[in-house]
Amino acid sequence: MAETLLDIAMMHSDSLLLRARQGDKNAQGKLVQLWYKRIYNFAFKFFQDHDMAMEVAQKTFISMCKNLEGLQDTSRFKSWLYTIAVNYCREELRKKKSNRSVPFEFVVNPEAENSPRWEGSSMRHENPERQFQQAELSEILQQALMTLSEEQREVVIMKEFEGLKFREIAEVLNISENTVKSRMYYGLDGLKKILEQRNITKDTVHYEL
Amino acid sequence: MSYKPNEAAWMAYLYGEMESEERERMELYLTANANARLELENMKALQQMLRTVEDKEVIAPPIVVDNNKTRSLWDFPYAKTIVSIAASLLLIMVVGRLTDTSISSDDTGIHISFGSKVITPPVDNTPMLTQTEVQDMINASLHQNNDTWQQNLTENRLKIDESIRKNLAANNRNSERVDALVQQVASASNDQIAAYVASLQTENMRMMQDYMKLTTNEQKDYMENLLVDFSKYLQQQRNDDLRLLQTKITDVEQNNNLFKAETEQILTSLISNSGTSFQKSGIRN
Repeated sequence: MAETLLDIAMMHSDSLLLRARQGDKNAQGKLVQLWYKRIYNFAFKFFQDHDMAMEVAQKTFISMCKNLEGLQDTSRFKSWLYTIAVNYCREELRKKKSNRSVPFEFVVNPEAENSPRWEGSSMRHENPERQFQQAELSEILQQALMTLSEEQREVVIMKEFEGLKFREIAEVLNISENTVKSRMYYGLDGLKKILEQRNITKDTVHYEL
Repeated sequence: MSYKPNEAAWMAYLYGEMESEERERMELYLTANANARLELENMKALQQMLRTVEDKEVIAPPIVVDNNKTRSLWDFPYAKTIVSIAASLLLIMVVGRLTDTSISSDDTGIHISFGSKVITPPVDNTPMLTQTEVQDMINASLHQNNDTWQQNLTENRLKIDESIRKNLAANNRNSERVDALVQQVASASNDQIAAYVASLQTENMRMMQDYMKLTTNEQKDYMENLLVDFSKYLQQQRNDDLRLLQTKITDVEQNNNLFKAETEQILTSLISNSGTSFQKSGIRN
């Protein structure tokens, strides 16, 4: 994945972190701006629900601002932030399981009312057929992610989409690195099986490397 | 080659997080094993597919955090619980003071009382009567009771005997009366039955006679009506037959007249024809 300016800024945010730790509101605001998209997307892939992802992201950053002072090692900021996000994701999931109401988005089909998702994506200037195929594949993959267990899903998202190292994921989840790798292996295996069931393999999908 | 990668090794190699020494062994394993190479290719293909999932664009909302560091005593954990317990105790004490509640315990148990405590005089437990006196009192009472019972029993027995005797005498008188009645009934029954049977027979006979009379009259009327009806019917039938015969005879007469007229007409025509032919033959001659 190509590194954007935002990624570079995230990697070199030590001075920002130091200022934010000292209670600099401006620095805290910039940290939120830098990391909000990542945490939101992590939560969105975990729930496939915009509102729940927003809820988790906001709670994570409120908690971050409140507790940043207690963070001793700034090099561990990334795993520390994801730890907060994972905890809130689990909390929301517990609430969702206890509250069996159906979200309104599932009742009213958003696909029928809104334009296709690929229209808003960055691929919209490319070949329309290919754009549609990729959007469809993306949709299928996100649905397949939701079929994984909670433990496998959080590992797959953190590794594959958030680019955390296995060591960092182990730190976030407070488990051994080997357990993380094992969950990742079985998570990928599960995804592969689901895709094979829908006849989606490397031979049937044409993507540009 | 004994090296066979486990799940953790597969993942470490796939994501480039494997130590160089183990990576070499893994690469050797892959070179020697075509199936392992295929599996690795499949995993890489899945990685490529997963990269098609794009991030959603989102705008970070303003995060407002109240950084008021002065933490009141109220915010400490358990502070609310402790204060609640203290308030409850205080309330109990105030209520106890207002209602003059007193709790005391002695040999007989725990006593909770409201208001001023009533001091009860100690009970004198010294015995007033000795055991023999009490025993004598009980014996005397029992003796008196037994005497009363005996007296009552004797009186009752005498009353019952007298009553039985009276009842027996009354019964004897009643039985004699009943016997006399039975004898009277037995002697009178034969004549009465004979008279009753005779009256019944007479009545039955009278009823039968009446019935026979009535039925005979009815039958006679019925037969008369029947005969009248039958004679009417016969008369009617005869009239009809006569009318029919009359009609037939009239028809025959009419036919005869017609036949006669026709015959006359024919004879007349024959005669006239024969006269004409005779004249003709005479002329010819």
